[in-house]
Amino acid sequence: MISLPIALPFVVLVLAALTAVLGLRRTSVLVWLAAMALMVYSFAGHVTDPLKIAL
Amino acid sequence: MAALARTLNALALLGVCGVLLYAFYWQIVRGELPCPLCLLQRAAFLAAGFGFLLNVRFGSSESHYGVVVVGSLAGAAFAVRQILLHIVPGTGAYGSAVLGYHFYTWALVGFVVMIAFAGVMLFIGAQFVEGVQEVRPSTGAQALGWLFVLVVLANAVSTLLECGFGPCPDNPTEYELLQK
Repeated sequence: MISLPIALPFVVLVLAALTAVLGLRRTSVLVWLAAMALMVYSFAGHVTDPLKIAL
Repeated sequence: MAALARTLNALALLGVCGVLLYAFYWQIVRGELPCPLCLLQRAAFLAAGFGFLLNVRFGSSESHYGVVVVGSLAGAAFAVRQILLHIVPGTGAYGSAVLGYHFYTWALVGFVVMIAFAGVMLFIGAQFVEGVQEVRPSTGAQALGWLFVLVVLANAVSTLLECGFGPCPDNPTEYELLQK
């Protein structure tokens, strides 16, 4: 599984928020969907982190 | 009713910004760096807050509340995962406790509250009569929108400084990009 930068979902969320504020509703929702996908993918990569810290 | 819904959404968006700014206070002033799962919970707060932003900017829509619910469900999953891993006796906890609970527990409470809020708001049918439209937002709505953009941008920069261009360390103790 390729590890993506965890900052990537945040960067995409910046774009989503910017496009929404600028009035591009449909585009912003599509960008938000991409951010959600990245977030879930990152979660899959970090899902056992607290366990690693504990052990 | 539409005005009331917009006001409540604006307050909710302000609340999301407040939560994230408070997290920043602990990160910058208290020096507690967020772990990868903590960062994902922050991202989920932003993702849920995006739904409130859409309601404030374009008017209320059922799909905007859907954005809030989906973002909150993802965040709740991240928070529950962290709670369950730390709930085992002897496994310790991550970070400080505030009012007796750790941040990931409070995060779960926050996500559940947002889901409940979205559910209750969906009962106010009158707010959907106007439909989504390209309206010129009020100065307050515009200012709130830009505040949200700033909060998201600050989180993106902070995460980039902390984790660099790769996956974040499991237990971060310093900003990776600020290391000499």
